[in-house]
Amino acid sequence: MGVGNGGDGAAGAIPGPPPSSLSSPSSPSRRTRREVTLGLLASGVALAAAPLVAASRPPRPASDPFGAPGGTAAFQETYRGRLIRGAWTPGTGPAGTGQWQVTVDGRPLHLMRRADGTWLSMVDHYQSYPTPLEAARGAVDDMVPGQGLRDVAPGPVGDADRHAHPYSHTQGVPGGVHA
Amino acid sequence: MAYTRKNVAKLTREERRRFVDALLEIKRRGEYDEFVRTHIQYFTTDGESGLRTAHMAPSFLPWHRRFLLDLERALRRVDSSVTIPYWDWTRDRTTTSVPWREDLLGGNGRRADRQVTTGPFAYAHGHWTLRVGVTDGKFLTRDLGRSRDPIALPTGSELERALEDPLYDLAPWDSTVSKGFRNKLEGWGSGRGSSSWHNHNRVHRWVGGTMLGAASVNDPVFWLHHAFLDLQWTRWQRRHRGARYLPARPPGPGDPQYGRIVARHEKLPPWDVTPDELEDVSRIYRYV
Repeated sequence: MGVGNGGDGAAGAIPGPPPSSLSSPSSPSRRTRREVTLGLLASGVALAAAPLVAASRPPRPASDPFGAPGGTAAFQETYRGRLIRGAWTPGTGPAGTGQWQVTVDGRPLHLMRRADGTWLSMVDHYQSYPTPLEAARGAVDDMVPGQGLRDVAPGPVGDADRHAHPYSHTQGVPGGVHA
Repeated sequence: MAYTRKNVAKLTREERRRFVDALLEIKRRGEYDEFVRTHIQYFTTDGESGLRTAHMAPSFLPWHRRFLLDLERALRRVDSSVTIPYWDWTRDRTTTSVPWREDLLGGNGRRADRQVTTGPFAYAHGHWTLRVGVTDGKFLTRDLGRSRDPIALPTGSELERALEDPLYDLAPWDSTVSKGFRNKLEGWGSGRGSSSWHNHNRVHRWVGGTMLGAASVNDPVFWLHHAFLDLQWTRWQRRHRGARYLPARPPGPGDPQYGRIVARHEKLPPWDVTPDELEDVSRIYRYV
């Protein structure tokens, strides 16, 4: 029960060129300095080999409980001088839920899902993006040059026993909130 | 005896000084950073699982009402004359308006790194180092109006669109509802760009910098903004006499929102108070 079981990153990364085909709320001028370096993440990611898909693939609907991206489940690029990497790892839970692990310059960027399937990051909490990649770019847009991410995520909210919920975990980077 | 919360544009110089000094004192004591942590912890979303309290839920308004009361109590322990002022962004709409003044919140961030360099909360002045944050940055940042792709603050008409809705909130009680006062005020929309965020969300975007992320409480404008939103709840209640917080009863086990939102008579974490108990706070404060 519950909308969008925790961590089922179903939005599907839309990788690589041509940049103009990537849906984004930003204006074209923001893309001029971006260098796209695409690569599949190799070992360390528990994925079956997945083919790259065309950049025009639409995001997966939020109602897909399994969230297997089907197409590309990883992205890597240098954007505004920062290395963005993301990988979708299938879960080991009963519903096969998985989650996206995204890093900016090697540090985790915690993402959260909206009910409409879009994504928020810890850096930008008041608007959402169609894909984890775009959420990561949006985060980089709002980070100060020279500063890095901290490992920060929301904690468990409220009484765990309250209305016992079958999927009671939240997607997040282990470690909770650090000063 | 109820105390008053005032429009920040109408504070006397003395009131401004006392408000700022009380904030700096609770920061110095370490109390302020606890509020930053709490807000990070309680921002859960409707596409994940678990209970939602502070955002994307009906309890957005009572949660922040209580959150502001806690901050205000902390300030009043330092100086019992202090109350949280509100920022009416339908009127004070430019980057040099109140509250962006040297003796209040300080001004905009500078171009190079969006660092706030004026006013009491400028890192360089030594009294406002960010300790709890989404990044390892130590200084407060702002980008008023979003310089790279300018936007405007919400207008009086946008606010009115929320106020005129007679329903407090409705199923599925999340960020996708297009009717109801709560989400029209909180401001989650769909689609891209300017049309996708309104009122509360738009203001966070307009201020930018620190106010954009999970650690938005690091910018004291957070309190002035939420006081104005809290005032809208009071206005809405007066306009729609008898209209109550919804849902009155929790969703049942067959409902996708079961266990995910707080109903009128349920306790609102992290406190023991219920939304019902927070609907009328007229014996504590009133807005002037």
